[in-house]
Amino acid sequence: MQKKITQRGSGVTRRDFIATTSAAGVAATAFLGGKAPAFASNHKLHYLQWSSFIPDADAEIRRQVEEFSKAAGVEVTVEMINQNDMTPRITAAIESGEGADVMLLINNQPHLFANGLVDHGALMSELAGGDIYDWANGAVTVDGVARAVPLFNIGNAIVYRKDVFDELGLSAPNTWDEYLEVGRALKNNNLPVGQTLGHTFGDAPSFAYPLLWSFGGMEVDASGKVVVNSAETHQALAFAKEFWEAACDPGGLAWDDTSNNRAFLGQTIGATLNGASIYFVARRKFPDLADKLAHVNNPEGPGGRYHVIGPRSPAIMKYSEEQDAAADFIRFMFQDDNFSQFITVNSGYVQGLTPKWENHPVWDSDPALKIFSTNAKYGRSYGHAGPWNRASGEVAEKYIVVDMFARAVQGEDPKEIAAWGQKEMENVYGA
Amino acid sequence: MTTPQPVNAPSLWARFATSLEDQRVLGYVLMAPALLLIVIFIAYPFVLGVWMSLTDKIVGTPGTYIGLGNYERLFASDIFLTAAWNTVFFTTVATVFKAVLGMWLAVLLNRRFRFANITRASVLLPFIVPTVLSTLAWLWMFDATFSVFNWTLRWMWQMEISILGLVLKENWGFFRGPLWLGDPDLAMASVILVNVWRGLPFFAISFLAGLQTIPPDLYDAADIDGASGWKKFWHVTLPLIKPVAIVVIVFSIVVTFADFQLVYILTRGGPNNETHLLATLAYQLGMGSGNIGQGAAVALFMLPILAVVIIFQLWYLRREGVR
Amino acid sequence: MNAMVGETYVRRLVIFYIPLFMFVFVMLFPFAWMLITSIKPDAELYNPRISPFIVREPTLEHWESLFGTTLFIRWAINTLWVAIASTAVSLFAGVLAGYALSRLVFRGSTLFGIMIFVTYLVPPTLLFIPLTGVVTWMGLQDTTWSLIFTYPTFLVPFCTWLLMGYFQTIPKELEECARIDGATRLQAMSRIVIPLAVPGILSAGIFAFTLSWNEFLYALVFIHSPENKTIPVGVTSELIKGDVFFWGALMAGALFGSVPVAVVYSFFVEHYVSGMTGAVKG
Repeated sequence: MQKKITQRGSGVTRRDFIATTSAAGVAATAFLGGKAPAFASNHKLHYLQWSSFIPDADAEIRRQVEEFSKAAGVEVTVEMINQNDMTPRITAAIESGEGADVMLLINNQPHLFANGLVDHGALMSELAGGDIYDWANGAVTVDGVARAVPLFNIGNAIVYRKDVFDELGLSAPNTWDEYLEVGRALKNNNLPVGQTLGHTFGDAPSFAYPLLWSFGGMEVDASGKVVVNSAETHQALAFAKEFWEAACDPGGLAWDDTSNNRAFLGQTIGATLNGASIYFVARRKFPDLADKLAHVNNPEGPGGRYHVIGPRSPAIMKYSEEQDAAADFIRFMFQDDNFSQFITVNSGYVQGLTPKWENHPVWDSDPALKIFSTNAKYGRSYGHAGPWNRASGEVAEKYIVVDMFARAVQGEDPKEIAAWGQKEMENVYGA
Repeated sequence: MTTPQPVNAPSLWARFATSLEDQRVLGYVLMAPALLLIVIFIAYPFVLGVWMSLTDKIVGTPGTYIGLGNYERLFASDIFLTAAWNTVFFTTVATVFKAVLGMWLAVLLNRRFRFANITRASVLLPFIVPTVLSTLAWLWMFDATFSVFNWTLRWMWQMEISILGLVLKENWGFFRGPLWLGDPDLAMASVILVNVWRGLPFFAISFLAGLQTIPPDLYDAADIDGASGWKKFWHVTLPLIKPVAIVVIVFSIVVTFADFQLVYILTRGGPNNETHLLATLAYQLGMGSGNIGQGAAVALFMLPILAVVIIFQLWYLRREGVR
Repeated sequence: MNAMVGETYVRRLVIFYIPLFMFVFVMLFPFAWMLITSIKPDAELYNPRISPFIVREPTLEHWESLFGTTLFIRWAINTLWVAIASTAVSLFAGVLAGYALSRLVFRGSTLFGIMIFVTYLVPPTLLFIPLTGVVTWMGLQDTTWSLIFTYPTFLVPFCTWLLMGYFQTIPKELEECARIDGATRLQAMSRIVIPLAVPGILSAGIFAFTLSWNEFLYALVFIHSPENKTIPVGVTSELIKGDVFFWGALMAGALFGSVPVAVVYSFFVEHYVSGMTGAVKG
């Protein structure tokens, strides 16, 4: 075991130092897939991520961290916090140049925080190569430079009560019009559709954006010009109002990301768009209920069928003094056995971002989960049909699209709403 | 200092101690710790904050000077205007309720009754416990599905106890109960309710302190004149408590105006920005979307409004002082 | 308005006991709700069809998970330490400044008074990003010291303001007598005025302690290690999570985060009122 490792700028670079390194390194090498570890024992790494809706996923990350820590001789602090508190922590860390070394970014945050992140180009081609889905690549590539490495996506689908559907003679909806009728019947049966249109980071945009897109509405066109004030948008908003009144739980306006999970498991709603977490918890805590669940993709509208996608991507901070160790930690998470295990414990909640994970055994382990593997096929990201950028993130952060629908369901005129959305979005995009 | 000291001259320390007898010196010495803290931790960051509001700084970049560009962009945004209006509305309504109810509670607590001390201590509780924690309890009580209030209302409905009568019954074919945080008007009302709940004890205890300074013989005099309880309150209590009230109200306005935690926990500005305040908007822009320049501009916008309030207070206190 | 002679029982009930009871009930209900929620098993918590007021099978599982699986005790110790230390710093600065501003005549005193007043107004949401820079520059990031030095930004103005009022109520003559007897100004301040101002200092201290115990924004931004967090931040960022059924443990956290301050207050409430009395007289 080596003693004092070099400080930065001590003459010998860390890489050189490693070339002549010790037994500990060799042991670790086995775990690190043949890659020499780039650090020694007095190094400390801080990894910050959200706390997952799947408790087992957090446990698996802790396991990986511990194993990595042992193998590599690096002391790793892992911190898991409420997703809503992630952004302020990242901002403060970048502004002050101190904080966690690796953070798990969401959606287009690599664009938002590009200035504080190292160039991940080499790591990206090493770990994801050319196989990675284009949209995931776009999420982390800012001006041609990768600012993070996309690890996984959280898919979503409409989870519904198969037993109630059967009882009422309903079948899984394929179009929005069918969903409207299904929802009407559900609401009459006191088990409405439950969706949130509140200010909450996950479920609200996951519901609002695809609804907009499937009627042909768009935030910006492919050139990046704001075009949200369109006849298609008006249609989507008008439909939303009808759908909300006929089919939805009015409480949704105040829900956060956990509310529909609780409402569904508390059996007060009959269908909701969500990740696999409802099924996951039901399987473990309410097995009777789990047997009555089924999933279906978002309905199709005149403009097609869509789901919101956005990767979760670990990123190394520019200020980090442990960039090599950080890179090795990310390699460790990407290692096939580790990532495969991560997918397994998530039971369908997460998908890999290269085609090879499409055939992971988890998708066949439970027929109810199969649908989540197809998510990326319909996936679009915030700011569709424009490219990934900072502005679309700001529009999402300001909940402009979500609020357009929130206003619609409260009975405001779709034309006025769309004009409002156009104005606010132009304010962000700089017209 | 550079001149050599004669051996038998008073030591430096002794000379320093003597100079402290001079008010002018002592004044500065005593002010030093407070000033040091203020300069390092308020004045410097404040100047920096003002500078940021004049730049297009986004997180991780130094930003370049753009003059009043941020303010122009803000005034072109309905979200900002909504938040500004909400903040004024929220502050005004909440302060009025706190002042009126606080006065009422203070008058009640000023009586002599058994368990007075424990009662006073217990009504203080909402003020002293961490805001985020008590607000989380309210969030849970307002929960759209599991609200205890709504359960009670539903139960009353089933039991056909109709306090609110027909208004509620109309929509009860599908009844979840009021959407405390989902209905735009109700959401603001709920946020105000929690703020009043939290701030009321501060008003009550401060007013109580004020009431206790009122000499009892003034009431005796009023009694002799045959004044009713209400009249005594209006003509004796209120005028005497006014200076205290002004100080407390202004302090509360400042704190309420910059309130962040309540909305951050309860609604994050939703639904449809109906509960967005300047503080939460500043946070959303600066922290959430990395637009630090714009966030700073929103936060700074609070200052002139508050300054008006404070100037009023200074003016009023001075006038009262002269009297 | 003391209890009036000849007031009938019914009248007393209507204008006094009933309103007072309503106030106390509303003020305390959320705490009762924290307690009830924290001892209810999940199966009852998340069943909207049964009465939420009755706890059928009380459980300590949420308490156990709070104390067993989170760093709650650590957070409590941190919060206590931060609150005590920042209160001490603020009182030290506030007592001296309050004394100087209320008793001494020196150039710029009015300006300083106004400046302290104005610092009140500066919204924390404006300061916290620049402050992260200051905190880092001083090497205090991710330490409780970062909070101990930044909390006085909102504590010192209040303490100074409150104590200025209090010092003014203490007759100048007492100090002058002491100085005639040969005491220096500092001695007169520390041996005569400050002891007399103890109730005021106590109430300013209690107030400062409460605000520090409460603070959320700075603690969220300046602290990154789980073991350095304070209760408000630890509870919100680490207990709202994954398992969507977090309300039991969360409410247990809220309850136990409230208890220590409540205990401190129950001892000091009378001093607090009398301290405020002194301050408002001034």
